[in-house]
This record gives sequence, C-alpha cells and structure tokens, in this order.
Amino acid sequence: MRLIRAVLSVAFRQSMTTMKPAGRGGPLMLFHIETGGCGGCGMELRALASAPYDLGGAGFGLAGTPAGADMLLVSGPLTRMMAPVLQAAWEAMPDPKGIICLGDCALDGGVFGENYATLGGLERHVTIDLRLPGCPPTPADVLAGLASLLGGGVQESMPRSDTGGSL
Amino acid sequence: MGAVDLIRAGEPTPSAWRFRLHELAWRDLVEALRTDPLPFCGLWCDGADMHALFILRDAPLAVTLVLEDGRYPALSPAREVSTLYERAAYDLYGAEAMWARDVRPLLDHEVWPCSTPLAGQPGVSEARTGLVAFQPSEKFVAATGPVDGWGPASGGVAPPWHVAFTQSGGVIGLAESQSGYAHRGLALRWRGSRAEEACRLSGRLVAGQSVAHQTALCMAVENACGHVVGEKASQARVALLEMERVLHHLYTLADMAERAQAPLVAAHCMMLRETMLEQISPVTGSRLLMDCCRPGGVHLPQAEQMGALCDSLARMGLAGHPALQELWDSFPGLAARLTGLGVTRTEDLARVGLEGPVARAAGQDCDTRRLLGLYDGLWRYTAGRQNGSAADRAQLLLDEIAESLTLLAKLAVHLGDAAPGRETLSLPDAEGMAMVEGPWGRVAYWVWLHQGRLAQVFCHNPAAAALLVFEEAIKGQPVEDLPLLACSLGVNAAALDG
Ligand code: SF4
Repeated sequence: MRLIRAVLSVAFRQSMTTMKPAGRGGPLMLFHIETGGCGGCGMELRALASAPYDLGGAGFGLAGTPAGADMLLVSGPLTRMMAPVLQAAWEAMPDPKGIICLGDCALDGGVFGENYATLGGLERHVTIDLRLPGCPPTPADVLAGLASLLGGGVQESMPRSDTGGSL
Repeated sequence: MGAVDLIRAGEPTPSAWRFRLHELAWRDLVEALRTDPLPFCGLWCDGADMHALFILRDAPLAVTLVLEDGRYPALSPAREVSTLYERAAYDLYGAEAMWARDVRPLLDHEVWPCSTPLAGQPGVSEARTGLVAFQPSEKFVAATGPVDGWGPASGGVAPPWHVAFTQSGGVIGLAESQSGYAHRGLALRWRGSRAEEACRLSGRLVAGQSVAHQTALCMAVENACGHVVGEKASQARVALLEMERVLHHLYTLADMAERAQAPLVAAHCMMLRETMLEQISPVTGSRLLMDCCRPGGVHLPQAEQMGALCDSLARMGLAGHPALQELWDSFPGLAARLTGLGVTRTEDLARVGLEGPVARAAGQDCDTRRLLGLYDGLWRYTAGRQNGSAADRAQLLLDEIAESLTLLAKLAVHLGDAAPGRETLSLPDAEGMAMVEGPWGRVAYWVWLHQGRLAQVFCHNPAAAALLVFEEAIKGQPVEDLPLLACSLGVNAAALDG
C-alpha cells in the first residue's frame, strides 16, 4: 500500500535551516495526530502548549485541521486502523509539508513494534523530517527539536534524497 | 441460590478465589446476576477458557468456564459492560458469546492481516486498506436526525477514537463510539514476557495512569509468588500512586478548563503541575512516572529523596490549593458552563459498574483504597458535592488533590530518608491478582506465571464502563461539549483498546 510521500520541497527544506519561509506570516502550524500510542507523547505536547512553556512564542502553533498545517506531528505506533487516517491527513495538507515523529513509538514502534495490529514506527515506511526520540521526549526536548526547524542546524534526520517511502 | 453461592459451588482451583463451572451452572449464574448486584470486573478469554472476575467486598471472586466449540453463554444479558469484553474476546480469539447483547466488532475492523490473532490458529482476513467505516447498531440506524462524527483525528492530543452521533439543532440525540484505533495488541505482547518487560508494557497501556497499572501488575505477580514487598517500598508505591493522582487530576482539570473557555484556569493548573514535575522527575526519573514501580519493589534514581519529595510536594501543593480553588470558583462563566453538564444517573453508573471519581461525584461510596493494606492508617475519604455533573466531577478532583497531598505529608514522615528499592523475585507456576485505585478508578491485573514468564495477563480498568456512561450522558448535550464531556468522564481510547 502506498501510504505517504513525505517530501519537503527543496525551497522549504532550505528555509527550515534558517528561518521560516519568506511570505509565510505567522507560526509554523503543526497538526498532531496520535496514531495509537499510550498518549504519553500527547500529554507532553499538551504540556508544551501550556504555561510555563511558550510554544507560540517559539514560532509554532497547533492546527485544528490538516488543511491548516505545515507539518504533520505524529505520535504513537502506527496502528493498521490509523494508517489510512494518517494518509488522509497527509493528503489534506497543503504543499510544502513535512513529517515530525514525536517519540520512540512514532519513530520505530518503541515498545510497540510491528504485530497484527500495528505497523511499528514510521521510519521504515516514510521519510521523516524531524525525529524527536524519547518515551516520551520531555517538552524541553520537543521544543529544542522544533526550534532546530526554524533556526538550528540541519537535522541528521532531514529528508532523504529519495522521494519518500511506501508501506 | 445467589451468584456468590453459585460461584462457590463450582469446582475449586489452585486459587482460593477462583472456581470452575460447567456450562449449565454458568447459565444459572447469568440468570442469578440479572437480580444479584454482585459487582462485575471483567471477562477474558485465554484461548481455552473464559474467565469472569467479580469483586466481593473488595476481594476478587473469579469463575472459569471451558469453551465448548468456541462458545460460551454471554454475561452481557446480566452485565451490560460485558458486551465490550465479549466483543474483544470474539475479535481476538473467536470466542463466541451466545445470546450476547451486541456482536459488532470492537477491535478487529478487517484491516489486520489475520482474524482472531490470539487464537491457536488465527483465521484469514480481508486485510482491507481504506478508512474504516462506522458500524452502527440497529438502534442507531433507526434513530432520526442527521448523523455527524468526531475523531479519530481531531488535532487534539488524546488517543484516537471515533464517536458518531445524531443531532438536531446542535443537540446530540444518540451517540455510539467506534474503537480499535489505539489497539496495540497488549495481550499478545504480554504473553510469554518476562516480568520486567510486562511491567514496562503495563506502564504504557495508558499514560497518566502508569503507576496504577504498573503497581497492580507488580502486586499481582508478587501475590502469585507469595512475596510481600518491604514496608518502605510499599510506602513508596503509595506515594507514587498519590503523586500520579495529583498530576493526573491537575492535567484533567486543565483540559476541562481549556475546553470550557477558561484558559487562565487551565494555565494555572498546568503551571502547578509543571512546578511539581520539576521536583518529581529527578527523584523518580520520569515525568509521567513510567517505570518507577518494578516487580519486587520500586526503581527510583534518587530513592533516598522520596521522603523529602513527598514533604515538599505536600507543602507546595497545599499552599497553592486555596488559590486554585478560588480561581476555579470565581472564573467568569466556568461554573455556569459545567453545572448541569453531562449529569450521570445513579442507575447508569450501577448498570455498567463504573466506579472511581465519576461515581464518587455522583454520590457513590466506592474507593479501592479503603480496603488496601497499602493505605492502612493513611487514608480518609472526604466526600464532596455529589450531583453527578461535570461541575461536581471537577470539584471532586480538586478535593482529591488536597486529599492526596495530605496523604503525601503523612508518607513523608513514614519514609524519612529511607531508600526504598526492590527484591529479586523467583517466579513459580501460579496465578495472582491485585488491584489499586487509579486516577479514574479501580485498576486490576490478573496474571498467570509459567516457566518464569507471564503466560497470560488480563487487565481491568474503568475505560469500558466510562465509555458506556459517556454514551448515555452525552444525550441531550450540545455537540460542542462532546470533547469536554469525554474528558470529564475519563474516556480514554488507549486504556480501552489495549
Ligand atoms: S513513545 Fe512512549 S510515551 Fe510516547 S506513545 Fe510511545 S509508549 Fe507512549
């Protein structure tokens, strides 16, 4: 099954290593999708979006719909039931777009490796634009990782030269 | 004969609290349960047998029936919540509940590579690839009004599930949930695992309730071993359970406040929680208190600091509690928004057996802590408002935060500068069961040990009953209050799906 082509345009990819793309007013919008984990990564994201952290001040916002998002923020192992939901969310996002994996489960399945119900993590299936390991990563870790998108160094996890993967 | 007598008339098993029945006696039991109020905890399959767990005066009472041609008489005609367990047993093992109230799929929506994956011989599956369609009950199909839905991807942070509902003029008529999106196959992952691995998994069944799940699993394993952990390790576990309750309730209150358009109150709750986490995480090694409780005791990077941590949290939390209460009471519109919202009816709670704070906020007297030896001399329940609305539930959570902080102050004295640790267990071939009071109510684990590993693990938590209460309480409520109501009732797909 062809699932996701996680491709960032070259222009956007370059811009992420410096500043947000020119002409894009406002924060970089993230659409969070929990694909079947314990909810711990989501709880830490919720903490990050609250006081005393300042997700908005760091240049990020949480989108209510994929159509309003720049990046897909995925947590949890990918259950087979959530795979088409993830794909639908991805397809509803405007270009350019990218994928952030929040937590070990989203990356490689973590404690929930592949079985009859889950496909494990996304790294074997698609190109990941930002990796935020941990079970769960702390809000500070997540914020530091996200900040690298706007002004930090190039991630070891930046998109591969191919055009994504398939399941 | 009453249900208890019927169970005890069964064939004894190696566990004094479990009895084996023949099919006719099981049928008699189902009939007796129609009028007997014996609290029901859960129903599970292990491939060869069905097991039902009841709670008799806060002690387990279990019954086992061998599957005949893969079938057994359903318990759902007498215990509605059993429908969720029966549907799961069919999806995972192919165990067919005769005369069941509901036979729709719960977990298996034909996207898995096989059907009945836990059966000795899994079946074939269509392994569909598209979006899973909602499968309504006949009652839902017959309902009038336009149908709308919410989830499984709402942009929020909660584990995925779907609710379909009919509505008229922005008011919900009938609602039905579709689950399975967060099913990770915990029962299979637990099967054959080492105790440490099983504990790590149970801590990740549902975040925010990790200590409750890990403690109950560890105690079940220890009970099977006939092992009693040391006094300080027991006290450290109680301290962790109560810390988790405080953190969980603050998080839930923040979620409720946010959804009720009270962002300042939400920020206050999260700030207080974060201040506590700054102290908690170095001592426990985990902000979400994962992996602190291990078979044989506890695992804490700075164990000798537990007493001081309890003292500090109690002082800081109790000092800040009046301000939180005042803000909650006085924030414009918050009380008005929650009062009368999602009122739970006593008969609904009793019908599905939901306990925990939701039931306590509706006037029910239920708390597993009462009879747990772990809490001897420590715990005293203080009842709050009891009208069963979201406002009452919020107030109960606020009361329980103060209660848990007071308990931590007492534990600080008991723990002092002791460094609770853990002892090595040697696992016999045996079964054990244990329960604790988690943040949303009773969490129970039942384990079978075999050849030094966990052969089977069954987990009960309040999620199944909470879902049924939610589906009742949401009727007649505004559509926009659906997530707020789900949050205030403790609906959690990760806990439900396993
Ligand atoms: S990475 Fe850990 S905390 Fe995050 S969803 Fe997976 S198990 Fe839960």
